[in-house]
Amino acid sequence: MTEHLLTLALRVLIYPGALFLIFLAFLYEWVDRKFLARVQNRYGPLYTGPSGILQPFADFLKLLSKEDIIPAAADRLLFNLTPIAYSTLPLVALLVIPIDGGEAVLAFDGDLIFVMFLLTLIVVTVFLAGLGSMSRFSIIGGVRAALQMLGYEIPMGLALIGPAVAAGSLSITDIVRWQSTGLRWLILLQPLGFAILVCCMLAELEYVPFDIPEAETEIVAGWRTEFSGRKLALIRLGKDLEVVLASALLASLYLGGAQPLYSLPGSITFLIKTVLVVLLFTFLRGVFARFRIDQMVSGMWRYMVPLAILQVILVEFGVGR
Amino acid sequence: MIKVPFGPQHPALKEPENFTFEIDGDIVVAVKPRIGYNHRGIEKAFEQRTYIQNLYLAERICGICSDAHTTCYTQAVESLLGVEAPPRARYIRVIVAELERIHSHSLWLGIAAHEIGFDTLFFYYWRDREVVMDLLESISGNRVHYAMNTIGGVRRDISPEKVSMIKKGLDFLEERMKRYIEMMKTDQTVLKRTEGVGVLKRRDAIDLCAVGPTLRASGVKNDVRADDPYAAYDEIPFNVVTHDGGDVLSRILVRCEEILESIEITRYALDHMPEGMTRVRVPMAVPPGETVSRVEAPRGELIHYAKSNGTARPERYKVRSPTLGNIPALCKMLIGCHVADIPIILAGIDPCFACMDRMTFIDLRNGDEWVWTMQELRRRYRND
Repeated sequence: MTEHLLTLALRVLIYPGALFLIFLAFLYEWVDRKFLARVQNRYGPLYTGPSGILQPFADFLKLLSKEDIIPAAADRLLFNLTPIAYSTLPLVALLVIPIDGGEAVLAFDGDLIFVMFLLTLIVVTVFLAGLGSMSRFSIIGGVRAALQMLGYEIPMGLALIGPAVAAGSLSITDIVRWQSTGLRWLILLQPLGFAILVCCMLAELEYVPFDIPEAETEIVAGWRTEFSGRKLALIRLGKDLEVVLASALLASLYLGGAQPLYSLPGSITFLIKTVLVVLLFTFLRGVFARFRIDQMVSGMWRYMVPLAILQVILVEFGVGR
Repeated sequence: MIKVPFGPQHPALKEPENFTFEIDGDIVVAVKPRIGYNHRGIEKAFEQRTYIQNLYLAERICGICSDAHTTCYTQAVESLLGVEAPPRARYIRVIVAELERIHSHSLWLGIAAHEIGFDTLFFYYWRDREVVMDLLESISGNRVHYAMNTIGGVRRDISPEKVSMIKKGLDFLEERMKRYIEMMKTDQTVLKRTEGVGVLKRRDAIDLCAVGPTLRASGVKNDVRADDPYAAYDEIPFNVVTHDGGDVLSRILVRCEEILESIEITRYALDHMPEGMTRVRVPMAVPPGETVSRVEAPRGELIHYAKSNGTARPERYKVRSPTLGNIPALCKMLIGCHVADIPIILAGIDPCFACMDRMTFIDLRNGDEWVWTMQELRRRYRND
């Protein structure tokens, strides 16, 4: 019994849990920054570590040591709690995704629904963070984040349901297992769902063209304008973890997840697939201009929702399962 | 209905200026500009310095269109003196002015891309802008303040080796710009953010005295280079680019196509540059008189007025920079726009607030008007 608890603690805290995921978060931020820089014809991080690979970690440490300012008008409770919530929510969601080949750390039936719930909760946190800052820019940013969610939440839910219907299970571990029998990757069976989920994840991550809640030239840094020091460090870490979560979700649901391939162990294929997804995100955010909030919401309802429904109908009729 | 202040410190504004918006929901219903945050007392400074010293001052009115200001200044002083720059000097002025237009428009295109959140395009524009900056540096030795113009001509000649180098740079820029125009016309996200945004109708543009690319994007064919040719523009064939949309997209396309036009003008000027000297000597003191000089700066029509009293210093000097001419039109095009579109519309006129701010004192009770002397200005800003 104690041995079991010890293994569980190790799995939650070290590998493939918190520590490993935080390491991945910094690594993927570097991948994202470096690749975006190359897309934009820049060098990107260069000095800290080989090719600047330690830069995200150095930024994190630097921010930890900076002054932590709480605006006089801010709601102290919300202002203190939201950065913590924002950085832990993606971490919790990642625990239900299988990373090292076998079962996820906290796999249970219906964990897909749990992930959807957490994804929504992240946006609620963002909204509360904006509201709690009591700054003009923050409030507009928070409201925009909530408005944006009205646009992408439905198609995202539908795109997450497609694989579940195909695999006949609401557990992510089971969906991964279903795909690994006979290499039935769902991107090949339901390419439409994959495309929709990529778009919705761009919105969830507040990446161009959906970086509306933090539109730099309009509202400074949006909902995170007032955060500084430790809180900003946590928010940045949370954002990196969210990137890991989004890429892990896409890799698990549509690209076969952590399945052993040829002589490669599951964890390595998982890393390769998630890095590919991160590169896809980065490339997409490099080639668009930012939408306006009304264009984003109406576009989502006009195009994404019907397409997502079409995908689910196709799956129901047996196409792509 | 809420009032939202925009500036003087705001990420979309590169210089301090304040606009107060009255907003109904997400729509702007009224705009109140408040200019004057960047007043530098530059006209007063002109009156304190000799005509030669003022050359350096004119150069520094604007950090981007510095050549336009010195061209305008030297033209004004030359007309007071009754001298004319030699033909070769006038061609060199055209070449530098057009290269500067290319650099200024590329800079603006980058900023416009940044305002609509398209940072990749911003980096690409600014990377290619380096080519024209290098050309200007090779001609004048400077990247920003070229110090090419002097009263009675230009200070440096352009050698044949430089001519071929400039042409090579221009070929590269032309190829890139054609690709960008194609991209701007077809990229859906760019079109979504610029088409039909910040519309200024032709009638309004004329009534509100808009100038430069802003005016030409509303379909008005107006360009000082064509209407009142200076330097060597009367000898160089070129088209005045106009677009009928009146929106931000038209302003982008007008500037893109003006870059292509500038490349053609520069090529023609390089090929047809007459031989001869580049400057004539002029006396220090300027005979009494007054004059107005006009130049088509990258941002629009630039007007300098000079009044001399027979000494080595001007008695009165007035600079009307193009941004000031565009402020009323800007307020018109902002009304009815979405809050998210404010930055790109504001940037759409290519504002240069530091060049624009002038000041006069008015007593609202009895209508008295007065201006400060240089000593009073110094006392206010330096505390001495």
